[in-house]
Amino acid sequence: MTALDKTNRQQEYYVLTCTSMRRYDHHAASDLTPMSPAFFHILLSLGAGERHGYAIKREVAARTEGKLKLGPGVLYGSINKLLELGLIEETEDRPDPHLDDERRRYYRITSFGRKAAQAEAVRMRELVQLAAATFGAPKHA
Amino acid sequence: MRDKPFRLKLYRWLLRLYPAGFRENYAGPLERAFRDELAESSGPWALALLWIRLLADLAISIPAQVAREVYQDVRHTLRLWANRPWHTGFAIAALAIGIGANTGVFSVVNALLLRSLPFHEPSRLASLRAQDFIPPHDSSKQFHDWCEQSTYLADAALVEEYDVNLGGKRDAVRAHVAQTSWNFFSTLGTQPVLGRGFMPEEDTAGHNEIAIIGHGLWQQLFAGDRRVLGSTIRVDGNPLTIVGVAPPGFDYPSSTVLWKPAAFSPGNNGWGTVARLKPGIEWPQAQAAFDAELDRLSPNRGKIDNANPRPRMRSLQDALAGPAKNASLLLMAGVVLVLAIACTNVANLLIARTADRAAELSMRSALGASRARLTQQLLTECLLLSFAAAVAGLLVAFWTTSLAAQVQPPPLAAQTYSILDGRVLVFPAIVSILSGLLFAVLPSLYAGRTYVFETRGSGKARGSRLIREGLAGAQVMLTVILLTASVSVGRAFVHLMGTDRGYDVKGVVTVSVSLDGTTHQQSERQLPYFEEALARVRALPGVRSASATEFLPLYATGFVGGGFGLDGHRAKRNSTMIPVLSGYFQTMGGRFLSGREFTDAEVRSGAKVAVVNERFAAGFGAPEEAVGRQLTQGKRPPWKIVGVVKGMDYETDPSLVNGNQVFLPSEAPGGFFSTIVARVDGRAEDHLAAIRDAIRSVDPKVPVFGVKTMEQRLAEFFARPKFFRTAVWMFAGFALLLAVIGSYGIVSYAVTQRTQEMGVRMALGTTPVRLRGMLLRQGLLMVAAGAIPGIAGARLTGRFLESLMEGAKSIDLATSAGLALFLVLVASTSIWAATRRIAGLDIMAILRAE
Repeated sequence: MTALDKTNRQQEYYVLTCTSMRRYDHHAASDLTPMSPAFFHILLSLGAGERHGYAIKREVAARTEGKLKLGPGVLYGSINKLLELGLIEETEDRPDPHLDDERRRYYRITSFGRKAAQAEAVRMRELVQLAAATFGAPKHA
Repeated sequence: MRDKPFRLKLYRWLLRLYPAGFRENYAGPLERAFRDELAESSGPWALALLWIRLLADLAISIPAQVAREVYQDVRHTLRLWANRPWHTGFAIAALAIGIGANTGVFSVVNALLLRSLPFHEPSRLASLRAQDFIPPHDSSKQFHDWCEQSTYLADAALVEEYDVNLGGKRDAVRAHVAQTSWNFFSTLGTQPVLGRGFMPEEDTAGHNEIAIIGHGLWQQLFAGDRRVLGSTIRVDGNPLTIVGVAPPGFDYPSSTVLWKPAAFSPGNNGWGTVARLKPGIEWPQAQAAFDAELDRLSPNRGKIDNANPRPRMRSLQDALAGPAKNASLLLMAGVVLVLAIACTNVANLLIARTADRAAELSMRSALGASRARLTQQLLTECLLLSFAAAVAGLLVAFWTTSLAAQVQPPPLAAQTYSILDGRVLVFPAIVSILSGLLFAVLPSLYAGRTYVFETRGSGKARGSRLIREGLAGAQVMLTVILLTASVSVGRAFVHLMGTDRGYDVKGVVTVSVSLDGTTHQQSERQLPYFEEALARVRALPGVRSASATEFLPLYATGFVGGGFGLDGHRAKRNSTMIPVLSGYFQTMGGRFLSGREFTDAEVRSGAKVAVVNERFAAGFGAPEEAVGRQLTQGKRPPWKIVGVVKGMDYETDPSLVNGNQVFLPSEAPGGFFSTIVARVDGRAEDHLAAIRDAIRSVDPKVPVFGVKTMEQRLAEFFARPKFFRTAVWMFAGFALLLAVIGSYGIVSYAVTQRTQEMGVRMALGTTPVRLRGMLLRQGLLMVAAGAIPGIAGARLTGRFLESLMEGAKSIDLATSAGLALFLVLVASTSIWAATRRIAGLDIMAILRAE
């Protein structure tokens, strides 16, 4: 093998390594449960449609009556992780050109993300059922 | 909203705390979110709340993102390492040995020079050896009066150390003790942890039957019982009342386990002095005052010349570190050099490697990775490398410290070298981080240029090539110096080991006994004890002969002697008197020039016979003719000389050995302590236990100690030079290995860099062999550029080497030039091997790529 061949092979290898850095592991959806509340709420808010980061934050805060306020760092850290896991993806589509700010990034849930959220919901339901069977149904649900 | 830009600036600044990858992707959205939140918050309270929430958010998310990216980088690094295991293995091994050796040597330097002594203000303490000066000491009062009148000493104490038989609740054991003036503990500023120190007047006869015991002895004999105060401990059979327990780790001088108040006597010249300088007096002033006092107290001292240097008042710290001080510092310098070589080499490797990875880095850069992100990756790689090296280095350090522990000078014996010493552990950490940064910075700077698209072998690489060749040249220079040093030290060691000591160490077992405080103590019962012990030893299978002496070579702590002469003419120098039993020379392998040794009958009857050594006899004519003449000492009845022997070295220091020696039949071998020696068949170690048990069986109450072979004793003596030799050899071997790999790496890298050029040259008719010859010439130029100053440097190291080992001198030009030539040959081989790739170059493929 000549030195040049080796260089070419190295380049091929590096291309492989570089793409593999964005690769996400194909877990089963149920492997991702239990899910952190932040992840679950982000998926819930994206379940209704595409959102940009700030919209997700506001929706989560509204849905939880202000109990879960995602700071920007935690929000984008979670988004980064969800992207990496393949639960959500960035979208190029803009919902409404008049309301859009070009600098904003929009995200949507993937089908894998949907499955993972469903799996988490099932887990929660089973937990609620178990709690009800053990302690009885609460008076104020 | 005048300060809105300021808030934004502040937030942007905080965002820089995120790791590079996350920052690149999300700095924009984060800033956007901040603006949105800022717009929604009005009023000071809302703003304050916003900042609190933001800071909390940063505090949570920054560590999480840092951990994530470090994890990614580490995984990436490990993949790269797995791809090039040899490259990685070498880099880690190089640094590990560098760091480990540094830590090991540092532990010695730390124990000797840095760790403070367990005394109050140790830097103000002075030490005077008995052979230099002893203050007036005829009585306690005389000594303490002298202390009080001193103009430069706040306090001073006398101390004399010796071995005794110590009897507690169990059988007697041999132990090192000290008798001191009453103010010994107060001068050092050390207080007993239990009980009290000595009181004034307690160092006078009738009041001094008390003792302070060491912490270890308290634990060992009394199980740490606090009721020990007031108990009795027997020292050579005499009962002493324990009044205090010394603090843990305090064992000054020389592993002392018990201190008792002194009994002053005018004739005693074994006193050492420790003193504390008066406040405000500095060392030069104190030395001047000491010199003046010396002249006043003993105006008729001998001439001061090279052989009898002026007594010096040394600091206690220097006195304890002794000759090991310079050697340790030199070793430290050597080991730092090795680490520097290792670092430059690894830096060299990494620069070459980073340049090799230009393609990968360019690709990542094209895919959006910023310079900061790539630098972060490279830094992680380097720091991970130094971390791995530090862990491996600790293993090496463990080994080097255990080696170092063998060479600790006796006065510091209690201050054991511990790998767990905080300072010793912090040291490799700092060294590895510094070295990591040192070799990480260069490649990172280089990477800064590589991340843009740049073709390989462009003009900018020239600067880095010069740096790397300069580093390699410096490395060759240091290697020549270390190689020369190793040859010099090696020669000196061989000389040291090969010295004729006048006895044969092979196959000799030694066992010491002391009759002090036992029923055999009376003079007339001592010889029968030894006769019985020797009879039992001689009866053992495999024992060829056995005898005893009061002063064993390599083990004598003190001597008696005097002005002996021949036929009434006194010898020019005093002679050492060595009492021995019959068969001693046969057992030790001594060599008779003429005559014979003592018989059993002569020893038993106390016959006036003597054996003298060659040196003594030579003072009076031909040595062989001394037999039959009379050995005289003053008015004492003369001894008849029955033999002349080669003489035995009692020390290993060539400057101290071979004085006049007079061997006499031992009349009272239990006076101090005696050592029974036995010559055995086969391995001496195998007979140790049997001989010890046979001697112990005569009377179990007699302490038996020092059970060792003569070879073990010699090995102990040479532990320090051996350690230095091994260390220097290791340094040199390691430097050689690094130089070989360094030159290989540089040339091999040059081949990769210049592939196109080579292809074109070959297409134009140059043969591969000529190309390889050209690279070899260029490589050797670099080696020669380092070797020549190396030879010059090696000539200068000789005088420093002498502090490592007696007799190590700077070696001749021919040898160092020969070593440089050897290095050139080794480097040539490695360069030739590095260029073998040229032979396989495919010209067509290269030209197509062009």
